[in-house]
Amino acid sequence: MRMNQRILVHLILTFEIILGFNPEPTYLVLNYFDRDLPAAEQALIDNFSNSTFEFDPSIHHMFENIDNHENPAASHMVTIKELGEKYQVNYILFNRIEHINDRFILNGLLFNTRSGGLIHRRKIDLKQYLNGQINELNMWVGNTVGRVEKNWEKNRESILFSDPEEINYEKTPRGAAIRSLAAPGWGQAYSGKKVSAGLWASTESSLSLAAIISFLNYDKAAKSFLKNSKLYDGTNDEKEVADYRAAAENDWNDHKKYSQLAIVFAAATGTGWIANSIHAWIVGPRPYTNIYQQWNTK
Amino acid sequence: MKPFHGLFILSLALLFVNSCTIYEKLFDNPVDFEANEERGIGAPTLVFYPKTQTVTQIDTILVGSFIVFQEDSTQPFAGVHLQIEFPNDFLELDTVKPGLFITDTNNSTPLFTYTYDSISTIDIYAYFLDTLKKDLEGTGHLADLVFNPVGVGSDSIFYNLDKCEMINHQDHEIIINGIRGAEVIIK
Repeated sequence: MRMNQRILVHLILTFEIILGFNPEPTYLVLNYFDRDLPAAEQALIDNFSNSTFEFDPSIHHMFENIDNHENPAASHMVTIKELGEKYQVNYILFNRIEHINDRFILNGLLFNTRSGGLIHRRKIDLKQYLNGQINELNMWVGNTVGRVEKNWEKNRESILFSDPEEINYEKTPRGAAIRSLAAPGWGQAYSGKKVSAGLWASTESSLSLAAIISFLNYDKAAKSFLKNSKLYDGTNDEKEVADYRAAAENDWNDHKKYSQLAIVFAAATGTGWIANSIHAWIVGPRPYTNIYQQWNTK
Repeated sequence: MKPFHGLFILSLALLFVNSCTIYEKLFDNPVDFEANEERGIGAPTLVFYPKTQTVTQIDTILVGSFIVFQEDSTQPFAGVHLQIEFPNDFLELDTVKPGLFITDTNNSTPLFTYTYDSISTIDIYAYFLDTLKKDLEGTGHLADLVFNPVGVGSDSIFYNLDKCEMINHQDHEIIINGIRGAEVIIK
């Protein structure tokens, strides 16, 4: 059934014998798709034999926006219990499939009709593959009822590269590290980390500048010290001796102070430079190693 | 992309570290009372300037004799007797001249004379004579000794402290607490 590009399929899926004649649990499965998936209904019938299905479009919006509730697990307790009594089932499975570009999101909810609470939930964000929606639906339902077939898992693996060693990545952590070794912040910028790139570049620039300024001051003081020392040694005038000595002592203190500062700043620059390169490697661009993607809660 | 760029800059940083040589703070001008004090030589001190000099056999050797007082504890003096010994095996006395200090700024002619025993000892006698002042005060130049080299070698010219004395215009002795010699190297 199609409603605003959505199809709500309500089906009762019973395993073995329904209506309590068998001790095996019984399930009511509710599917909610944003696109038409005509094969889904038949696939569930085929894969989970001995099942019967019923459709009820009146409750199509019941499980929307479950995350907006203060307590999602207990958000529909009354309704779940009523459905459980109406359809005489132990559990209700609600499956929502939404499509975003070349990906689809399967949101599965498993409710216990006795308590009315949410007892299991699965959210997966997958790149589309051949019959991926139906395959994932089968896996989720099969996982819930404890019946997962090998060929479903193999189908999912079809979206993986058959030979990952041959993949050439456009950007790598090593590339980021080398770039940062050449110019602090470049590797981070290359990895798309603009803030840390700016921080590293400005920090290293400041430290380098401080080291250069300290070195230049050291050099100036050292030259002045040598000059005044020479003048001090070269005179026998009492006043000049005292003046040149005082000047040379000031220069000596300055050249020692700026030498220490230059060493400290140069060491900090060098250490920071290496740390910056290591950081670039750590935050460097890496490919996803599986087909799953972190769920975006926004 | 060349990793050598980064290594080059790191090398520059290392160059900074290596370039920052700390020079030795060595102040040793004999006319500097602080330098003499640092070497345990008390003031007033009789010194030569320069403390060391290297000359060739065709050069003339000029050695200045100085009295050095501590800056904040000078004592007025009017006359000095200096006994100086030098190595006569490679130095020959040429002449002795009065220093700028005792000739005074008014160009007064001091009483200045010396004796030479024709071996290795020179005795200098100087007395400050002026129409206005009776004494001199502070560090100053007493005499210039001019030598001619007669051989090659290195040795020292030095004061004989026991024979040196300094007096004020009332003929009271001023104690001389230290002396420093001078080294002469003839090549």
